[in-house]
Amino acid sequence: MHPLGSREKGTTILAMGNEAIVRGGLEAGIGFFTTYPGTPASEIGVEYMALRSEFPHLYVEFSINEHVAAHAAQGASWANIRAMTAMKHVGMNVAAEVLHFAGYTGVKAGFVVVIGSDPGATSSTSEQDDRWYSLHTHLPILEPATIQEAKDFTALAFELSERYNLPVIINAPSKLCHNIGSLSLGSLPATFRVKGTFERNPSRYINLFAGSVANHRAGMTSARRLADDAPSLGLNRVLSGAGRTGFISSSINYLYLMEALSILGVSDAPVMKIGMSYPLNAGEIAAFARGLERIYVVEDLEGFLEYQIKRLLYDENLRTEIVGKDIFPDYGELDVDLVTGILKDELARPLPANVQRTAALAAELTADIPPRQGAYCTGCPHRSTLYSIVKATERKVIFAGDIGCYTLSCLPPFRAFDWVTCMNCGTGIAHGIMHTNQDEEVIAYVGDSTFFHSGLPNLINAVQNGTSMVLVILDNKWVAMTGHQPSPTTARGVRGDTMKPVDLKGLLKSIGVTYVRTVSPHNIKQTIVTLHDALAAKSGVRVIIAEEECALQAERRATFSPPEYEVYYQIEPERCQKCNECYVDFGCPAIRSREAGGDFHYYIEESTCIRCGACHDLCLNSAILRTEIKRPGREAAS
Amino acid sequence: MIRYDIVICGIGGQGVISLGTILKLAAIEEGVSVMGAERRGGAQREGSVTSNIRYRGLSPGEAHDERAMATSGLIPAAGADMMIAMEPLEALRHAALLNERSVVIVNDFPLIPVSVRIGERAYPARDEIYARLRRFTPHVHVVDIDGLSKQNFNSLRQVNTVSLGLASALGALPVSEESILATVKQRFPDFETNKRAFDLGRSASGAATHGR
Repeated sequence: MHPLGSREKGTTILAMGNEAIVRGGLEAGIGFFTTYPGTPASEIGVEYMALRSEFPHLYVEFSINEHVAAHAAQGASWANIRAMTAMKHVGMNVAAEVLHFAGYTGVKAGFVVVIGSDPGATSSTSEQDDRWYSLHTHLPILEPATIQEAKDFTALAFELSERYNLPVIINAPSKLCHNIGSLSLGSLPATFRVKGTFERNPSRYINLFAGSVANHRAGMTSARRLADDAPSLGLNRVLSGAGRTGFISSSINYLYLMEALSILGVSDAPVMKIGMSYPLNAGEIAAFARGLERIYVVEDLEGFLEYQIKRLLYDENLRTEIVGKDIFPDYGELDVDLVTGILKDELARPLPANVQRTAALAAELTADIPPRQGAYCTGCPHRSTLYSIVKATERKVIFAGDIGCYTLSCLPPFRAFDWVTCMNCGTGIAHGIMHTNQDEEVIAYVGDSTFFHSGLPNLINAVQNGTSMVLVILDNKWVAMTGHQPSPTTARGVRGDTMKPVDLKGLLKSIGVTYVRTVSPHNIKQTIVTLHDALAAKSGVRVIIAEEECALQAERRATFSPPEYEVYYQIEPERCQKCNECYVDFGCPAIRSREAGGDFHYYIEESTCIRCGACHDLCLNSAILRTEIKRPGREAAS
Repeated sequence: MIRYDIVICGIGGQGVISLGTILKLAAIEEGVSVMGAERRGGAQREGSVTSNIRYRGLSPGEAHDERAMATSGLIPAAGADMMIAMEPLEALRHAALLNERSVVIVNDFPLIPVSVRIGERAYPARDEIYARLRRFTPHVHVVDIDGLSKQNFNSLRQVNTVSLGLASALGALPVSEESILATVKQRFPDFETNKRAFDLGRSASGAATHGR
């Protein structure tokens, strides 16, 4: 049984923040879930998918993008089924059009939108704060701080959504999504609603002209009603204390604040913990501020709470000093140390001696540590494709990369990346560049999932407008960076279950791409020759499909149906010229260096190698040997 | 009040996450509250990975104090009671979490980062790394955990369980050996082998070198 599906109320389990959100949905009787996977929110969809066998009423979908996912959840809500859609923060930009209408239309059954935010951009290309959207979408935002609150707030969000006729946002930063710890379970509904019914509601659902204006007003009225009720919801709490200096915080920053105060020995300051950061209730904030001379607002990024609080207190005629982004950075991610370091000066408190001692030692002894950046997994087809692209072009082209595992090619050893912003920025921006500069060649590359997310319009546009570019579609059959969710080109699950893959070649043909080639990336020579051919063809959009399943999934598949032959690769030291082609330029982590008798030689670490054979193909001195051994039959093995 | 913070650091694919999961599940088994964030650095290999394990609980008769119990997912500077480093350089990378009472267990098996492989940076001498760690705390235990697993089990699969044995012997963990083993039994196949690996870790704790 899946622990998140437990019917034992009061049991404590180990859960990730994302899993707590999943459980919160179940406790609220969720029936419909959609997502486009994106770190840090990816596990939500993975867990709902895993729960389907125990909750067969539950519809779970990895949608093609966030816009599609949000529409679907809105539809389910209108059909009176409690629905959730989850996305990473930048997914909100893609879903924004849908969600700007969600306040206009209202909901039927509870509709919850989970945003996995990423201050510090630890797994993203931007760190935008989606909370600001609510100043114009008017969608309420709940900000859990702990794993327990992640569950409790999510369950409550469904109720609030129905009571106030608005979708409700759960904003969970990556350090909460990936916080793993104790979670006390609540009860599950005795029955789940299985069948939806769509009830027409033309005055809210048809948004045209004056009707649209009326619905804009209706959405804002709902948000105001919620603001009025905020003090009674128990989402915002005050820890009363002494003194004329107070603190307001929300989300995990509340925990950072509390730890910082404890480190600095401040044990009695008044603190307001905000659980619902939009809409705020002016009276509730004013009641906390009254009598305080100064309030520090501790939050990430541009200062969404601070902005609102200053505005509300001005209207309440309170002149309590609000200190936020004047001292806390409005970029990057806060943590306990950063908050402690800033507040020690503000509050004139010394750092504890052991913290000072460690800080001095760390400055002296850890500054010169070589960085450890990510690299492609052993056997990754992207490594082979990127190696071939670098070899075929000698880097004398414009590289239009994109978002996915292959974004790693901006790092050594490949460094074949000229920009990265949002999904499908590669072909989109390259198209503009190529129409202004016909002298250079561009190689764009994009993964299958990113391509289907929003790349098709770019490609059709490029074909229609005669853009010259080579586009390599890195078709590894999975959304791999977020943990192997299916993509439109997934043909088979790792246990052999079949899916309905898009006919990629047929699709390319139908939109007018006349040059389409397919290569096996680990066949380095074939890939390089094909790239030369595509570059020589000079005009129009030329597409190369680099087709090879993600190595991690292929490895998993092999555990369910082992191949008949076991293959081994070894470097023969006598033949190896230490040319560094495999060790540096290809950079496979399974190829390692070992000292031997004052000298060194390269070897392949057996336990790490996954036998893709690319090094065997690219070795200029034929020093990498391939050995094939027939596995013992089943009878012999058992 | 029960407060004990462990940081596990290493490289993607070394089992940092599963080691952290066992230590957290042991707390659930024991009835101690636990939390702690993971830094996974995407799905790729070779990047730095850390797991924070923060045990919290009340001693018998103690009243709940919301301010004292507020605990974030990340261990603050100088806050780690124990560090389990699956790689020497990663131990030093996270040394700002140590204080003079911290217990450090380092797997004496360097893995070369790409920046060193391509000749842009140098990997410090191991003795230099350990000497620097000992400036932070005298309780540094250097153990060839990879080697122990390979020699005794002909595989790297037991590295995690050997590490658990070391941690339970060297630290004042608020979770018992029994709870850890009960969790290992639930989560890992072949309990007999894992039990031997755990005991190997416990006995290796005595031989762990203080002055490699």
